[in-house]
Amino acid sequence: MPTPQDRNDESDLIARLRAGDTDAYQNAVRRFTPTMLAAARFYVGVDKAEDVVQESWIKAIRAIQTFEGRASLKTWLSRIVVNQAKNVLRQSGREVPLESPEALDPALASRFGPNRRWIQPPTLTSHETAEQWLERGALGDCLDKHLAALPEQQRSALMLFEVHQHKSDDVCNILEVSASNLRVLIHRARQRMFLMVEHFQETGEC
Amino acid sequence: MLMCQDVATLASDYIDDELGPVKRLAIGAHLLMCRHCRSLIGNLRTTREIISQRSYDHLDGDYARRLDAAIGEALRHPDNGRTGPPKDPEAR
Ligand SMILES: [Zn+2]
Repeated sequence: MPTPQDRNDESDLIARLRAGDTDAYQNAVRRFTPTMLAAARFYVGVDKAEDVVQESWIKAIRAIQTFEGRASLKTWLSRIVVNQAKNVLRQSGREVPLESPEALDPALASRFGPNRRWIQPPTLTSHETAEQWLERGALGDCLDKHLAALPEQQRSALMLFEVHQHKSDDVCNILEVSASNLRVLIHRARQRMFLMVEHFQETGEC
Repeated sequence: MLMCQDVATLASDYIDDELGPVKRLAIGAHLLMCRHCRSLIGNLRTTREIISQRSYDHLDGDYARRLDAAIGEALRHPDNGRTGPPKDPEAR
């Protein structure tokens, strides 16, 4: 939840953006661009995301004059990005690709028998903390590598929800996905990361 | 009867507390009996924790400066490329 202090900071920032204050823009660029890139990648992938976000900032310069503050600035900017990304897709004659994957990753699903019990159970114990995992330094790098390699939609959903700490409703609103679709994307992303850690702990290889 | 594969399917909803009370209790009961599913759930929790702790917020410095330049340019020449009023992304 934003505190009253956050709200003050935000309305102050909005006022300065409206006035065309370049320092305020530099500040906002550094604060909000990572989230905006995550939203862009959902639709246009990593190659076009930077262009889409740049166009979105230019659009925001005008639109900020009529911004009503119903959403947070971060959410509002991310919505501009998604509209822009969908325009780019439309102009290139491409459909918005919406995966609707199964809830279970095939690699995990294959580890259950016909009676839906484990035939190849997890090899990790359940008592290790995040700190213990990360003490094995290479694991952190391996996590980063696999997070970067997730399918774009899973990655965007996970980044917005988990890294940028948006609420589920907010992520659904930004990305225009249903709540159930978002749940599947997040679950699929976590399974991939789990399978990666398990493989790393077994073999020492990323 | 809730089986291991069902627990795996619902695991993220369980750890994010997105399940109704009936399913939640059923999974809780299963976890008491099944160490394999306990391991899966425990490790997904750790995975979630690590991802939210690690900073992936890093913004490429060159890109940030390119944005600064493009925004600066647009602020100096506000009438370039204007066609009609802006679309308010809140109004859907
Ligand atoms: Zn089980």
